[in-house]
Amino acid sequence: MKLNAKDIAAGALLVLLAVIGLWLNQDHALGSARRMGPGYMPMLVFWLQFGLGSLVLATALFNGPDPLQKWTGTEITTLIAGIVVGTLVWKLAPALGTFFESTYNAVGLGMLAGFLVVCIAKGWSLIGFICAAMCVFSLLLEQGGLMLALIGTILVACAAEPEHRQRPLGVLGMGIFLLALCWWVFIKQLDIRVAVWPQF
Amino acid sequence: MDILANLGHGFTVAFSFTNLLFALIGALIGTAIGVLPGIGPVATISLLLPITFGQPATTAIIMLAGIYYGAQYGGSTTAILLNLPGEISSVVTTLEGYKMARNGRAGAALATSALGSFFAGTVATVLVAGSGPLLTSVALSFGPADYFSLMLLGLIISAVLAQGSVLKSVAMVVLGVALGLVGTDVQTGQQRFTFGIPELSDGIGFVALAMGMFGIAEIILNLERPEARSVLKTKVGNLWLTREEFRRATPSVLRGTLVGSVLGILPGGGASLASFGSYMMERKISRGRNMFGQGAIEGVAGPEAANNAAAQTSFIPLLTLGIPANAVMALMVGALIIQGIQPGPRMVEAQPDLFWGLIASMWIGNVMLLVINLPMIGMWVKLLQVPYKFLYPSILVFCCIGSYSINNNVFDVYMTVLFAVFGVVCAKLKMEPAPLLIGFVLGPMMEEHLRRAMLLSRGDPMVFVQRPISATMLAIAAVALIAMLMPTLRKGKEAAMAG
Repeated sequence: MKLNAKDIAAGALLVLLAVIGLWLNQDHALGSARRMGPGYMPMLVFWLQFGLGSLVLATALFNGPDPLQKWTGTEITTLIAGIVVGTLVWKLAPALGTFFESTYNAVGLGMLAGFLVVCIAKGWSLIGFICAAMCVFSLLLEQGGLMLALIGTILVACAAEPEHRQRPLGVLGMGIFLLALCWWVFIKQLDIRVAVWPQF
Repeated sequence: MDILANLGHGFTVAFSFTNLLFALIGALIGTAIGVLPGIGPVATISLLLPITFGQPATTAIIMLAGIYYGAQYGGSTTAILLNLPGEISSVVTTLEGYKMARNGRAGAALATSALGSFFAGTVATVLVAGSGPLLTSVALSFGPADYFSLMLLGLIISAVLAQGSVLKSVAMVVLGVALGLVGTDVQTGQQRFTFGIPELSDGIGFVALAMGMFGIAEIILNLERPEARSVLKTKVGNLWLTREEFRRATPSVLRGTLVGSVLGILPGGGASLASFGSYMMERKISRGRNMFGQGAIEGVAGPEAANNAAAQTSFIPLLTLGIPANAVMALMVGALIIQGIQPGPRMVEAQPDLFWGLIASMWIGNVMLLVINLPMIGMWVKLLQVPYKFLYPSILVFCCIGSYSINNNVFDVYMTVLFAVFGVVCAKLKMEPAPLLIGFVLGPMMEEHLRRAMLLSRGDPMVFVQRPISATMLAIAAVALIAMLMPTLRKGKEAAMAG
């Protein structure tokens, strides 16, 4: 067999996105070729993408083999668990306090929870911790201030690299350097409008 | 001499204190990321984009351009000293450059690369200055149909020349155009694909997309690979070339400059393609071709000149036609649009400060880079000792603050996270992100031109083949596409990409 698994997945993804696009595009008036409505260009683009995706799928049957990385059982379980936990946390977050009544904070908490669950599987820990670090940043920034947000982000980000766990002093040094650098660049020089210290 | 007067004006702009300072900052950052493997110009420029919003457009573009061509200088340093390409465009430099270093001629290789780059940069600057106004006057006679076809040609060639499968690259371009559709329809004001999210009514954030797919996704992919960074064993040695070396390098630099200048202008071209092209050429026709593999100076001089020439001439289609030739130029389009400047043929007239100031600063930047790179080489070698595990948290933190500060809204940070995940998925499935970015930038402009062209032709699609300019563009696009789908040529491209 010369199946190209990577291309099959790529083609399927392209086709799936095209179908979703075409489905959503039903809301938009097509207009005519002369006076194109808002739906005309999307229609052309998504049909083209559908066609190309199908072509990728078709050629994938012959130009392999190019297998995907094998997913272990834990990886599949944690991925599903991550999605479920993330969605649950997102929906339940508003009950936790006024801060989470704002949509993005609730979504952010859900994403954070989801990414952290995914980290349980070794193969996902990199992507999980890096993305979780960014969620920590946006959750802490507006109330906790820039410094607290940076500390949280750096700690979570460093969890992605096993070597950092053995040498906390290196992380400390880098953290202090980064805090000083960010303060100097973004607050002192560029003066972005953001609180530096926690707001109560 | 109109050009001389304009260039004079450009130099007065570029010599202002702020612009000189930011050209220097750009060149320094560019050299640094060029030296460091694991972070390239695309990621750096996208994560510095938000910082440039507060600056005048000219200053911003001068700095961003400095990063791009600075990276070409810096990339060769690691390639020669450590056999480790700092950038894709310096992959071929490792082949002969590292051999030269092993033979004790590291200094000569570094000097050749810096001087060759400087020469190529100077020639390319003159080319940009000369061809700019010329191409602009041609482009001003373009109708909407011609524009649409030109953009289509740009997209197709950039997909054809991208790494990996042509079919998938074309599909990525289309996906990019599709992502560009999100937001308010310009003509009717209707919201498209926004899911009722108010932040999406201006479209998907360009910075979030670029930062996520290039900046963050790259961190994740780099961390997956074990770090291969050897300690410097070779000595830099004497920087002076011998008379013999100088005689051999000169024709290669000239050829490299020519190859690089041409390949840089092509859509989808740019620095990496140019250095591959030049290396292949030197290996075939240079006088030292039988010394290849043992540290031939031609194999350093040609590609290094070519990648710098290409980095600069790839600004030509951007500045004159408003069409980005590669992912870095797509970021420049984004930077210009955020500054409220519509890239296109009117830019030379409407923004003379920007156009001529940028050209003048390119040359100044090359002089700076020569100084930054040759006498200060030891400092850059030290920088190499910073391990990636200390580097990635900094990149991440800058991405976070950067994406937040675009609109002072955490929404953009979450979008960046989503695009990071998408970027990793694309990398795993061998789907190239660069064509997607170019499609994303050009998509909205294409829609506008398509609508206008069809309105003028009363809905007759034949307008695209009846207008001679448009028909020519479409014909070239078709030929390029068909040619690349033919097996023999595809093998040639694969061989070139593999070096």
